[in-house]
Amino acid sequence: MTEVHVTVFTDRRARLLQEMAGEGLDVLLLYGNAWQNDYLRYATDFGILEGQALAIVREDGITLYLDSALEADRAALECSGIAVVHAPDLLGEVDSALSRLSNRRIGTAPARLIPRRLAARAKDLNLGDSTAFLDRLLMGKLASEVDAIRRACKVADEGYAVFRDAARAGRADYELIAEAEAFFRSKGVDDNFQIVGVGGPEVRGMAPPSGKKLKAGDMVTTELTPCVDGYYAQICRTLVVGEANAEQNKAFALYREAMEAGIAAVRDGVTAADIARAENEIFRREGLGDYVTDQYTRVRGHGVGLFADTKPHILEDVTTRIDAGMTLIVHPNTYHPVVGYLVLGDVVAVTSEGCEVFTGTARELFSMHA
Amino acid sequence: MRRGLMGWNAEELPKAALDARIARLRAAMQREGFDAALFYTNLVQPSAVTWLTGFTPYWSDGMLLLPRDGAPVFATALSKRVANWIRTTDTLSEIVNTPKPGAGVGKRIADAGCKRVGVLNYDVLPAGLYDEIVGAAPAVDLADLGSVFTGVRRTIDDAERGLIGRADTLARTALDLIDADKAADAGEVAGLVEKHARLGGAEEAYIAVAPDLDADRRLIRVAGTRPLAGRFAVRASIAYKGAWVRRVRSFARDAAACGAYRAADAWLAGVASSVGPGVPLDKQLAERVRELPSARLRAVMAESCIGSYPLEAVADAPVAGGFLVLTVALSLDGFPWLGAAPAFVVD
Repeated sequence: MTEVHVTVFTDRRARLLQEMAGEGLDVLLLYGNAWQNDYLRYATDFGILEGQALAIVREDGITLYLDSALEADRAALECSGIAVVHAPDLLGEVDSALSRLSNRRIGTAPARLIPRRLAARAKDLNLGDSTAFLDRLLMGKLASEVDAIRRACKVADEGYAVFRDAARAGRADYELIAEAEAFFRSKGVDDNFQIVGVGGPEVRGMAPPSGKKLKAGDMVTTELTPCVDGYYAQICRTLVVGEANAEQNKAFALYREAMEAGIAAVRDGVTAADIARAENEIFRREGLGDYVTDQYTRVRGHGVGLFADTKPHILEDVTTRIDAGMTLIVHPNTYHPVVGYLVLGDVVAVTSEGCEVFTGTARELFSMHA
Repeated sequence: MRRGLMGWNAEELPKAALDARIARLRAAMQREGFDAALFYTNLVQPSAVTWLTGFTPYWSDGMLLLPRDGAPVFATALSKRVANWIRTTDTLSEIVNTPKPGAGVGKRIADAGCKRVGVLNYDVLPAGLYDEIVGAAPAVDLADLGSVFTGVRRTIDDAERGLIGRADTLARTALDLIDADKAADAGEVAGLVEKHARLGGAEEAYIAVAPDLDADRRLIRVAGTRPLAGRFAVRASIAYKGAWVRRVRSFARDAAACGAYRAADAWLAGVASSVGPGVPLDKQLAERVRELPSARLRAVMAESCIGSYPLEAVADAPVAGGFLVLTVALSLDGFPWLGAAPAFVVD
């Protein structure tokens, strides 16, 4: 664990305990697994891969309970300043620990993922839903967290270069990801979220690799999201195998304009909807308004941090206020009726005057080896 | 999050195999008085749904409803746009895209008049989904399905044996690439092993390293620059089309430990190919370790896929036709050694 990694975790934990006191919370019960780990990681700094975990956070200490012996071994070595317990009977152990905390106010997060058996004891154990409290901390980053995401964005840029250089006609989609993953392991990246799309107008979105082989003229889209020191940074780019045709270049110019319009709208005090609207207006101006609906796209960006897809979601019906200290990816990714699914996205940090763009990769439709 | 090769191949996983699994489970459910069964899935707990349908989520979660008859119903909050991808790995189920998967399956079991429904891993079912289910089906009696499912799941079929074999080949050949004399950095070794596995079509690869076996036998998810000592160990946990194996191999640069490690590797291969049923594994190992002069057994762990986890520790005696991953820690003339290998339990 690097010194800066220790610093950011120390800062985060101090903030958590301070905010808990301000909220009147004596204890937090946090759940995590390899899919949804941000709440747990906020307090423990552990990047769980296998099994499930619960953490009990108190002012005088944090205890991490893991049902996997292998993960408990790993946590004991990788996490500092917390107690690690291998708990084959995860719920039994945690229930016993919570029972010893009677008359304390205990918050849970994320409440929807707390195991049913514990949730059923909410009244006896004095459990309440503190998901919104944690969401606020997860969205509004400390300066050291923003720095961590800046570093992660640099690795994302490098990872995309590896992915892009691996793209050539005849290679399978999963082989490109294999190249990027090997690079990431050597760079201290312990996780990555990545989906791809390969082809033309028939491609309506991105998914895990299916074995499809690249051929000349294909567009290759990817959303690459390495995790560095616990923080995910995303980059969305599109490349063409061989030379891009006029329609692909024209479509890409539109997506670039939309992304830049979205980024221009980012500043302290606007809402998520304002950013989404700025992106979508570019499509509507060109008569492509249908393609910014949920029939063709999911979100127009989202938060990045301890989860690859954290709040707020950038959508025209999301009124969450955007504050300085938030980190977002702005990506007008959607289906284009002429060329197919196309992606472009940069990570930004919100400032009082606007935003700072962390992504360094050129905003180009890349052409790679045919 | 999953980002390796994902897809369904009829030659590797014939539809007839899935039908036979469902039929076996339905027979067991009927014997125990269950009208239907529910299975929660996400990328950490995918294995029951993968076994029944071939589908593994790369992201998000969902619930599979297995009614007494008819097609399974897979309800997920993943968008309709993702349904086409789900269909490429699950050819059996009716796919329901809904923001509330629990409510979706709850309504189905209520409408079908189910009285008693089994839920795999009932205690750890996410509270949000549970609330949705009981909100839509308040009169249905929900009960844990664990023992019924495990009873069916403890033996494997030819299709699963084939997928496990493919995953194991990826793990074994990836570890073969490590040259103990040249390997200097743990991050590079992890990258080398992972790249080979993923280039070979691994759905997932978790690589862990004990960089200095003499100092600590525990393995970490190493990434970045970290020097390797003279004796180290590497664990490759590899998935291929939903089938998981683990292999651990120890490496040494000095001749004495190197020879002892080779002997231990051969011993473990022999043990893994001859695990018998009915006798607790620790007893089998205590007996077999005598084949290695000067070896002391330090720890044994058996894992298998008997529920929703890809691999989980199991304590029961092996059963004929079952599958295990065997992890062993030995002391060899004072040298620490770790090994792990998959084992098909022989009759």
